[in-house]
Amino acid sequence: MADPSWSKHLADILRRNGIRLFATVPDYIVSHVLEHLWADPECTVVTTCREEEGLGLLSGAWLAGRRGALLMQNSGLGNCVNTLGSLNVASQIPVVLVISHRGDLGEFNPAQVPVGQATERILDALDIRHAMPGSIADLEAQADGLIKLGYTRALPVAFLLPAGLTGGKLG
Amino acid sequence: MNRATATRLLLERLTSEVVVSNLGQATLDLQRLGDRPLNCYTFGAMGQCSSIGLGIALARPDVRVVCLDGDGSLLMNLGVLCTIATLALRNYALVVWDNEVHMTTGGQPTATAFRSSVAAIARGAGIERVLEPRDEAELARTYDRILREDGPFVVPVKVEKGRAEGKLDRDVVGYARRFTTALAALPRPAAAP
Repeated sequence: MADPSWSKHLADILRRNGIRLFATVPDYIVSHVLEHLWADPECTVVTTCREEEGLGLLSGAWLAGRRGALLMQNSGLGNCVNTLGSLNVASQIPVVLVISHRGDLGEFNPAQVPVGQATERILDALDIRHAMPGSIADLEAQADGLIKLGYTRALPVAFLLPAGLTGGKLG
Repeated sequence: MNRATATRLLLERLTSEVVVSNLGQATLDLQRLGDRPLNCYTFGAMGQCSSIGLGIALARPDVRVVCLDGDGSLLMNLGVLCTIATLALRNYALVVWDNEVHMTTGGQPTATAFRSSVAAIARGAGIERVLEPRDEAELARTYDRILREDGPFVVPVKVEKGRAEGKLDRDVVGYARRFTTALAALPRPAAAP
């Protein structure tokens, strides 16, 4: 049984690393994190029409001095592939990706499975360092280091949120 | 209208504004006609010029941001028009060079060559300030407005087909760093109480 406080931990991790600007195309799982961010008057959350639009927005904000994170489902990672490569990696623009991992253990929707199974390989193919914490303890142990690495390298990094951490989505 | 002339008319009005240029023709025009550290060139991620400018405008509300996009690129990222309308940033303007073709790839027609209108789509997305200058005098007056009045503005400009002269300088990382440094050096107004 997943501990529902995972979403508060993740929202706090992002905020304590100086991130106050968020873009999202919401899904059921990341919306638990978004609720904490929406409730925080210091945070700006922009809902875009498509995930790569959020990536462009956060990239511009970073060029103007603000850190940002993009919250989405792994289907959104599929929508982002070219922009991640030809904007963020090519121009060395860091961004934190928070990706709910549908299409893996316990998945009920066949349409989620192909991109779900490809998710880690998509990130690897773009040389995007990622962590897939299975518990809150695991998340807390890796999170600050992963975000710091992203800004040190000036490249995107990704949190993949498996059903073991979040409870997933029940069909 | 000629795109180079239209670009020059903007350049001669600039002081400390940010200009974000679309990959291909707009970036080459801007490099050749008026390279400056507050130019944010894009070289890839077709469609994202408008969104990158929106992020800059969001992060620096004290700085005016003008994007020079193309019809083909905007058509790839039409959702941004909804986001522009929703965020309603006063310091943001999106100029769209509409030559009705994908010029960089050889002049294949886009949807604006047929039935689609950038201005109508922008209005439908909820943008109130859509300006359509039809000659150089109107464009000059339009620039004066978007550099002074509250936006957001969307400015579709029908331009002649034609490739920019010269060759792109593709120091992708170097230009991004130069831009970030120049923008960070622009003094911010004192925070409101």
